[in-house]
Formats: sequence, C-alpha cells, structure tokens
Amino acid sequence: MIPSDHFTRFYNEVFKFLEKQGEEDLENYWLEISKNQEKHTLELFKEKGLAGMYEYWDHIRIEENCDLDLKLEPNKLELKMNVCPSLSKVQDNDAEPMKRYCDHCAGWIGPIIDKVGYHLVYDVIDRKKPQCVLKIFKDKEESLKEEKNAKLLMGWPGKKL
Amino acid sequence: MNNTLSEKTLRYNDKGNVHMDFHGATNTTIEFIIKKYGVNIMNDIFKKVGNNVYADIKKHIQSGNIEMLAKHWKHFFDREGADYSISIEKDEIILTVKRCTAYEHVKKLVGAVSPNFCDQTIKTNEAIAEGTPYEITTEILGEASCKQIIRKRL
Repeated sequence: MIPSDHFTRFYNEVFKFLEKQGEEDLENYWLEISKNQEKHTLELFKEKGLAGMYEYWDHIRIEENCDLDLKLEPNKLELKMNVCPSLSKVQDNDAEPMKRYCDHCAGWIGPIIDKVGYHLVYDVIDRKKPQCVLKIFKDKEESLKEEKNAKLLMGWPGKKL
Repeated sequence: MNNTLSEKTLRYNDKGNVHMDFHGATNTTIEFIIKKYGVNIMNDIFKKVGNNVYADIKKHIQSGNIEMLAKHWKHFFDREGADYSISIEKDEIILTVKRCTAYEHVKKLVGAVSPNFCDQTIKTNEAIAEGTPYEITTEILGEASCKQIIRKRL
C-alpha cells in the first residue's frame, strides 16, 4: 500500500498528470475528491453550520498533525494554517512538487461550502509556503469584502476568479 | 530468520497521528483515473510513485541493501495497525499481510473497494525494484491480505 502518511506525495503525482491533460481534467478530479469528502462533511455542515465546520477541522487538526488556529465567531469561521503538513510533505519529497499543489484545497472545499450555502474566501498567500487562511462567512457581502484583503485568492469549480 | 534492522533512517519517517481516511481518497482516485483514462495510466502514475517518490529506497535496493524496504514496510504497517509478519534474510524479505487496515478502512467507508485498490502495492513495488538486481512480487492471498516478496532476480 501507499501509506496514508504518503498520500499527499501520491496526490502530487496525480495532479502533475492531470495538469498536463488540462484545467478541466484537474477540476473534474477536485470535484470527485469533493464528492468523496462529502461523506465526512456534508451532513455535519448542513446540520451544525459553522460549528460543524469547526468540529471537522478541529478533528483534521489533530489527525493530520496540522499546526493551525481555528476561530469560530457567530457569522464566521477562520482557519489559519501555520504549517500545512500536506504541502510540507510534497516539498519534502524526492519527486518534484506540482507548482499549483495548493489549488486542490479550495478545489474540493469550495464546492461543499457552496452546497451548504456559506461563502468561502481562500487565501493561499504564497504557493511555495505551507500556510494559508481560509474564512467562511454566513453573509455573502462580508465574504466579498474580505476577498479584497487576500494576497493570493483561490477560485474553484463553480467560482471562477 | 533475522528480524533486526540496521540503524539507517528512512527517507520519510512520519510521526504523530495517522489519517486513515486518506485511503478512501486513494480508492476514489483509482476509480476516477481508471474510468477516465484507463488502467495503464493509473499504473503509470504508480510507477512514478515507485521510481520518484521512493527513489531513496530504490537506491538502497540498487546497492544491495534491501533492509531499507523492510524498515519501510515495518514502520508504516505498524503505524497503521496492520496484522503482518515479516521474515528478513540477506537476499530475501517476505512480508505477509494478514489484515490490511487500509483495505478494511476503505471497505468500512465506501462498502465496495475498487478491484484495482491493491494495484497501488503491486505496481509501486514493481517500479521500486525495476532496474535493480532484485524483484518485488505481490501475491494477493484474499481480501485485505497479501504476500510481498523481495528477492534477487534469477
């Protein structure tokens, strides 16, 4: 087996193949992963809203050994990834990292957040650094205002920038 | 049988918690790639994993040190709580996986595991050994069970 610890390096190889096929191929894959992730998130997010999202990423924080801060407010959830283990592993790799590796995260999270009626602002900051800030708003106007502060704003299938 | 291993460290020596749900994403990926592009493309990707991601293990095997593969197997099967046994000789290592927790976890998540799920093991192993004096064979013994052998090519 490819150990779960090495999944992101396998993921990286899949991305490199798909990127060569074209943007649509990459997006279709993100949507497939998004559908897979619905098993772990959709009901929780629908049922508990932002609190459910907090619950999910708090579990991920522990299980995926992330250095991240979570802040839950009445109308907003903020996730500040200080050291992303996923990109860190892809960079600590004997195989070449895909240059847009970070894009997959918004690629699968965005469609789920759209589906549950919330508004995602995904700031990757710098694709070479294992850090990012994800903000999820109840209010669309608030999210549009926040987009202007992003250093490297991500889109996803369903939200073209 | 000699199951003691040298002190050389693994290239990827993960610690901390284990996120077994990644195996579910691997299963989804295998099904997606095969459906859209065919099994040969999926196998090519595994080949790249074997050759490039595991370049360090390959280098050790190339130089006659197959212990590093045993160390890799032991480390990750222990981390994932699999039931296995391993026999380590100078020129042959036999890993018998009695209960693969990756397979079992995917089965629990999605019900039907891709019939190509174990190709990740078979094809990645083949690529790691490709171009070295050794071969790695993988025999599927049943659901969630296999035997992986590295030995000198005849």
